[in-house]
Amino acid sequence: MPALAKYRHSFLIGLQSNLVYRWNFALRASFSLFHLVVVFILWAAAYQGKINIGGFDLAQTMTYFVTMLVMQFFISASNEDYQISEDIRNGLINQFLLKPINYFGYRFSIFVAARIVAGGLALIPVLIALPLMREYLAFPSELWRIFYAVPALAMSAVIQFTIAYCFGLLTFWFLEIQSFIILSLAIETLLGGQIFPLDLMPKWLFEISQYLPYYYQMYFPVSIITGRATDTSVMLLHLGIQAFWVVALLAISEILWRRGLRRHTAVGG
Amino acid sequence: MKLLSYFRLWLACARYSLVRTMMFRMDFLMWGLVELFWMGVNIALVSVIYEHTDTIAGWGKYEMLLLVGSSMIVQRLLMGFFWSNLFELGRNVRSGNFDFFLAQPGNVMFMASTRKIDLEGIANVFVAGGIVVYAAQKLGLHPGWDQIAIYCIMLLCGLAIHYSLITLAVSLSFWIVKAEGMEHGYFSLTEFSRLPREAFHSIARGIPNVLFVYLLPAVVVSNVPARLLLHGFQWTHALWLFGIAVFWFSLAVFVFHRGLRRYSSASS
Repeated sequence: MPALAKYRHSFLIGLQSNLVYRWNFALRASFSLFHLVVVFILWAAAYQGKINIGGFDLAQTMTYFVTMLVMQFFISASNEDYQISEDIRNGLINQFLLKPINYFGYRFSIFVAARIVAGGLALIPVLIALPLMREYLAFPSELWRIFYAVPALAMSAVIQFTIAYCFGLLTFWFLEIQSFIILSLAIETLLGGQIFPLDLMPKWLFEISQYLPYYYQMYFPVSIITGRATDTSVMLLHLGIQAFWVVALLAISEILWRRGLRRHTAVGG
Repeated sequence: MKLLSYFRLWLACARYSLVRTMMFRMDFLMWGLVELFWMGVNIALVSVIYEHTDTIAGWGKYEMLLLVGSSMIVQRLLMGFFWSNLFELGRNVRSGNFDFFLAQPGNVMFMASTRKIDLEGIANVFVAGGIVVYAAQKLGLHPGWDQIAIYCIMLLCGLAIHYSLITLAVSLSFWIVKAEGMEHGYFSLTEFSRLPREAFHSIARGIPNVLFVYLLPAVVVSNVPARLLLHGFQWTHALWLFGIAVFWFSLAVFVFHRGLRRYSSASS
């Protein structure tokens, strides 16, 4: 099918251009191991004289953070917002307006390529450190979790990308979006569960967080994989809310794109 | 006399930064908010953990807050006075724009690292200071003026250490053209400064203890000033902090100037 062939090619280009930065990815992944050391020291100290915190032992908590870290490389958007912003600012976006290619589709196929490269490379330092971490890894053994985890992960990746895409499109209105991006990153990091497992928050806050898109960016799939989520009926409900956010964010991105283009004046290009 | 002229140079840069900030007020507000949010993230972590436990390595909630606050003051000072200069230094070396600093009337390292001041970082020093004051009040601490003065000096030693670490990291770009990403290393290291030193003792046969408490100056930067407020003055700690500040700063000066010799412009 020729329509798909276009995006297959942009995917392949994405693979190649990301492989150029393989050392950067590997370096970043190695530094994240330092982050894991910090997390470990902090939580090991918090667990001193305690068997469980919030119903989970130290190994389960560390499993959560390790999974979070690996998944971050596999599904989270890194600098897509910035690249899109640059495309708009430089006028590079003009060439997409003239060609029969969908900009969202083009960007998304590059995003998928970048995640495959980044995730694959991040696995190397994690695998090297595995012998040190092994006794602190405790994954649940139920296989049915995979059936929930796979769609949850796929939708998380779409949510991650679409949020970044929307932020990038803000460039149609604002020249400088770097501060917006980092501000939203702080919120995403916190409410996505990267700082602490969200279930440790006070109950009412945890419940509110389940209606926000951030919950479905990271925490939700990781909680399925690591066994923090146990009730399958709740998982199904959450998959539904996640699907709602996917649709809602896609709709927002489409509105921003159409409105933005009306404001856009093709400079240069 | 020479010191005075450097101070005047710095003042001129500060004035320029102030004017620039007043021109881009919205930018100032947004970046200030960004930093504030990230500080909030760290405070949220402390409050969530202490919902489930009473002590971390013997440190109670407000003691921990005092530690985190102290570490934030040092980091905000670095952000405010030096960060964007040092961050651009690496890029300038790569692009050849670094020539500009060589032509200026003064020590290159001084000129290159003090040109811009980010006022939002400095504004947040007061927020971080507020966290320390709040924690101290909750703990019922009443430090004397002498203690507060020593605390401030210790934070400045911490600032010197952070400045040196990051200068060392960006000086690498004199040798390795693509030393980008080294700043991630710096941020990873500062994460350790939010941990109490006692938490390192019994972990992984003491390897992190040797590495991050003794070899790399990550933990001592925040722990020594916080302990001063909590447990009073200790000569050994003060000398330790001062000693490593001198050591790392000298090393940074040495490495930077060694690197400078290798600099061979790019464009011309």
